[in-house]
Amino acid sequence: MNGDQTADFAADAPVQRQVRVHLTSKQEEIALPESTGPILIPTGLRRYALSTLVNNLLSTEKPVPFEFLINGTFLRTSIDEYLTANGISSETTLEIEYVRALIPPLHIASFQHDDWVSSADVLSTTSPAASWASGATVAKGQERILSASYDGLLRIWNMSSETIATSPAAADGGHNASIKAAKFVSPHQIVSAGLDRTVRLWKYSEEEDGFSGKISPQLELYGHKSGIDSLAVHGPSSRILTASSDHTVGFWSSKKSESPAAPENLLPSSAARTSKRRKLNSSVSTPQRGPLSLLSAHTGPVSAAIFDARDSTVGYSTSWDHSLRTWDLMTASLVDTRTTSHSLLSLEHLPDLHLLAAGTSARHITLIDPRTSATTLSAMTLRGHTNAVVSLARDPHSTYGLISGSHDGTCRIWDIRSTKTDKDGVVGESVYTISRKSLEEEGKSDSKRVGGEGVKVFSVCWDQTVGIVSAGEDKRIQINRGEGVLSSKK
Amino acid sequence: MNAAKASKKRKAVTRDVEEEAGVFSGDELNHDNLDGALSDNANDLSDSEQDDSESEIELIYDFSDEEDDEDALDSDEIPSDGEQAETKPTVVSQVDRDQPNVRVVKDANGNDRFLYDEINPDDNSDYSEAEENANTIGDIPLTFYDMYPHIGYDINGKKIMRPAKGEALDALLESIEIPKGWTGLTDPATGKPLQLSQDELELLKKVQMNEIPAEGYDPYEPTVEWFTSQQEIMPLSAAPEPKRRFVPSKHEAKRVMKIVKAIREGRILPYRPPEEREETDEDVINYDLWADEVERPDHIMHVPAPKLPPPGYEESYHPPAEYLPDKKERKEWEQTDPEDREKDFLANDFGSLRRVPGYENFIKEKFERCLDLYLAPRVRRSKLNIDPESLLPKLPSPEELKPFPTTCATVFRGHKGRVRSLAVDPLGIWLATGGDDGTVRVWELLTGRQLWSANLSDEEAVNVVRWRPGKDAVILAAAVGDDIYLAVPPIAEPEIEKASLEILDAGWGYAASNPAPSAAEANKKSTPPQWIRPSSALTEAGICVVIPLRYVVKSLSWHRRGDYFVTICPGSSTPASVAISIHTLSKHITQFPFRRRLKGGGAPQTAHFHPSKPILFVANQRSIRAYDLSRQLLVKILQPGARWISSFDIHPTSASASGGDNIIVGSYDRRLLWHDLDLSPRPYKTLRYHRKAIRAVKFHPGGRYPLFADASDDGSLQIFHGSVTGDMLSNASIVPLKVLKGHKITGELGVLDIDWHPREAWCVSAGADGTCRLWM
Repeated sequence: MNGDQTADFAADAPVQRQVRVHLTSKQEEIALPESTGPILIPTGLRRYALSTLVNNLLSTEKPVPFEFLINGTFLRTSIDEYLTANGISSETTLEIEYVRALIPPLHIASFQHDDWVSSADVLSTTSPAASWASGATVAKGQERILSASYDGLLRIWNMSSETIATSPAAADGGHNASIKAAKFVSPHQIVSAGLDRTVRLWKYSEEEDGFSGKISPQLELYGHKSGIDSLAVHGPSSRILTASSDHTVGFWSSKKSESPAAPENLLPSSAARTSKRRKLNSSVSTPQRGPLSLLSAHTGPVSAAIFDARDSTVGYSTSWDHSLRTWDLMTASLVDTRTTSHSLLSLEHLPDLHLLAAGTSARHITLIDPRTSATTLSAMTLRGHTNAVVSLARDPHSTYGLISGSHDGTCRIWDIRSTKTDKDGVVGESVYTISRKSLEEEGKSDSKRVGGEGVKVFSVCWDQTVGIVSAGEDKRIQINRGEGVLSSKK
Repeated sequence: MNAAKASKKRKAVTRDVEEEAGVFSGDELNHDNLDGALSDNANDLSDSEQDDSESEIELIYDFSDEEDDEDALDSDEIPSDGEQAETKPTVVSQVDRDQPNVRVVKDANGNDRFLYDEINPDDNSDYSEAEENANTIGDIPLTFYDMYPHIGYDINGKKIMRPAKGEALDALLESIEIPKGWTGLTDPATGKPLQLSQDELELLKKVQMNEIPAEGYDPYEPTVEWFTSQQEIMPLSAAPEPKRRFVPSKHEAKRVMKIVKAIREGRILPYRPPEEREETDEDVINYDLWADEVERPDHIMHVPAPKLPPPGYEESYHPPAEYLPDKKERKEWEQTDPEDREKDFLANDFGSLRRVPGYENFIKEKFERCLDLYLAPRVRRSKLNIDPESLLPKLPSPEELKPFPTTCATVFRGHKGRVRSLAVDPLGIWLATGGDDGTVRVWELLTGRQLWSANLSDEEAVNVVRWRPGKDAVILAAAVGDDIYLAVPPIAEPEIEKASLEILDAGWGYAASNPAPSAAEANKKSTPPQWIRPSSALTEAGICVVIPLRYVVKSLSWHRRGDYFVTICPGSSTPASVAISIHTLSKHITQFPFRRRLKGGGAPQTAHFHPSKPILFVANQRSIRAYDLSRQLLVKILQPGARWISSFDIHPTSASASGGDNIIVGSYDRRLLWHDLDLSPRPYKTLRYHRKAIRAVKFHPGGRYPLFADASDDGSLQIFHGSVTGDMLSNASIVPLKVLKGHKITGELGVLDIDWHPREAWCVSAGADGTCRLWM
């Protein structure tokens, strides 16, 4: 009735309903002057009109796109519809916060590999490895990208898509099976793990000119009885967490002196089959060590293990057995178990929100509050992927941001404030979708691959300097960057 | 007759006793003649035998006899003795009548002398002495002798003189003293005054009164049934039943036909009940109380006519605006059935009375009224008030039965030609496939990365690949052409790999200790094959054992414990005795448990071990047989009713004691059949959803999810929810969940094999298009 009346009213009267808004921003450089009081705006405005308005108020030379937050959610409709949907009177003063809008990430470069790329990591001024290393900092423009491939090799790339260094082959002390995960521990140390059940630490050294480097084996860690799917690194404490299909989480030290001796039975020399095919790395002798502890409670293959972003003594792991477990790493004991209804394949910590994002085999991301006081199992669900979500990374710019890599061949950027109401309740909506460049080059960008065939994304990494780095089945490392966000930072 | 009756009574007694205790009672033993009793019993037995042999009617007679005799039985405690005493004299008299009335006596000379009994004439006898003075003139009137002094002659011929008539005085005197019995009549026989005795007078009086003259005569004597209506055991007449008793009477038939004819011709009319005259109650008059109602002052005895409600505003020709229907109401009113309308008019605004038109329905309503008076039905409404939704079976919505596979998550591409078989390993990390290109491949399940590949044959296809169950070893069995290969793919960790190799190598010693059969024996077809080591190239690839079977293996199934597997060679050229073979891993032995072809149903197709019991299920083209291996027995035969069974699977909860055995069967004639073994050898449910042959069926292993799936040549998989309850009372509920499409049909073939992930609700399928797909 009310709606009809207003509609009639609107039809009759040319003057639109107006609402008093108060525009604020937490970022100083785009904040309006203090004196700006509440302004009266027509309710028919949408995000774009509001953005132009703010740009006018700021009198910026180059228009900056803004997003508008009312009560913690993005404005996705006109103000009028928002007021109607939430039952807010138009006579109240609306507090609207505006933030810079995410710019659609643009494709920067793709690095071609010989085989599927399973993992990617970035070394830059803003990357965790560089921030942990106090002494050696990474110069601007000297960013490096580490890729781990299914052919058993690690590669270091510079931003000009040139391979600076490649890890030795199996015969020379390299991995003798596919590598599934690799990370920088420090600008000079790399850790990798794969289907050969070993975790390997490498020393990375670069020539002065920065166009060639060397990856040399430093330490081999034995302990897992099955392939390792992912690993996490905490530099300051030189600790490594690995997730393996043998249902255990490995807790390792990256220092040779701290590590116990390697279990005898797992060393390659004890292998039963004296096969010529399996070459023992006789040419290079690398020190072999064992795990600090193996955390076993999972009943299925462990898919991901991470450190708590704030407290390196706390670890989280997800498994195919549907559970998310919290570990106290100092005592190697299980603290808490959260069981969901799907296999969990990836994990990321959102420390400011006290949430853990876990990618599932059921094509969505669940946000789980790991604190024991939390009563609800799943705080929110982010839906949109069409295949298993196997990789997650934090947005370096925003505490609400998240990027996911999925077997459907896309990476999706999420902002957990961006929601829509679904039949299942409030679900998150992805802000942007990054598809594989390889598809576009083939001219099939619009065609959807069944099961992400050929374009599966295995790993995604988001660095503030470099951008979004994703590795996939298309044998490429793909780098995307949201230009607008970065330009404002300069 | 009486004897018969008596015997019957004895029979009744014995029978009574028999009924009570089954032994002779004390009464029976007290009989004078036990022999007789026994013989009677014998008779009775024979009688009863006769009775038994006769129809039921006889039995009924017997029962009625007993009922008749019940009085007697109840009355005398010792029945038979008394009865006998009564019956004896009659028996004697009967006998006497038949004998001549003479006694033979020896006289003095020793000759026979016939002594006749004295004839004792009774009153009816002709030999009675005639009266001396009786008149013999015969039957002529006495008046003939009126002129003679005598009135006749006696027997001696002497004249019987007329008795002298007394003087008038004598007569007077006599008339004065009337002797007793004087009648004043003369006896015509004697001529003397007739005197009647008192008895004679009484008799005359009774005759006059139409009473029975004789004293002591009982006209209502109880009848003695000389010829009883009951059929006796010993009938008086042994004459056979005359024909007329059982042949329908021709005469009667003729008469009936006559009557029938008459009825047909209408000469005989059927009975017509007398017409009921309409009883018009002339004297009951119905008054219309309010026919001429006039205004009357209010009075207690005055009942006014019920008032009709006054017309409302709606019925006005110019109703207020709020009574006028808006468009929506008008439309709604027009759309409803005239019967269902709340009111039969719509308020209408005419503005003024002169604008009110004539009543449009006037003629129609008059006509309707006429039809009402005529009781003419106008509408036949045979509306069934059944909600069609309620007729559908109540199936839970698929949303509630999540999780189940819905989308294709990974495509495994690499095989050239068809992928014939695939299997997910017991850990759920790897997928093994085998195809027409003769290679066996192992893939990482989630990513679709090929980890290992072995080319086993260049010409022949890999027909089956199956992982050995159990997590202690990683052993893959693959059937390629005539050979079975056992491989340890180099994907597992060294310890498990070592354990796997040990399991495979343990049997060499056993085989070596049992010497190989001689060449002559080896040539015989049914000789079990020797397990051999593969060539060095294959050993390099990870193959450990080769079992040459001489015939193409199409089906392979492991026992749950991983020490045995059964293979089937269904080819038509395969001798029946070697078609089914059981292989023992720990001993490297191959056995052929079946010597002869299974009876009926063609060649064996596939076989599986029961998950928990030592039972082997073998399916041939039309039936599934369950053999108890420990007792070497055929336990059960299932008749799915399919023409050609392609595959079957046993429900995993069959392993628990509570659940009954459930089996799903897929057939080439497009049917998926669910069998409950406890229920019937026939299928509990038949599902025909595929357009083409079903190639494979599989339950979700482990029983964590109640799912099963089938793969068909139409390129689709169908996922079903089939929960089996623990109690025996309720049947399994089967809900179709999802059709998974994706495989391309290549050469008339679609999906060739299917398998489930051991823990998750994920399934994998092998397609003829050379791909495998993971569905999650």
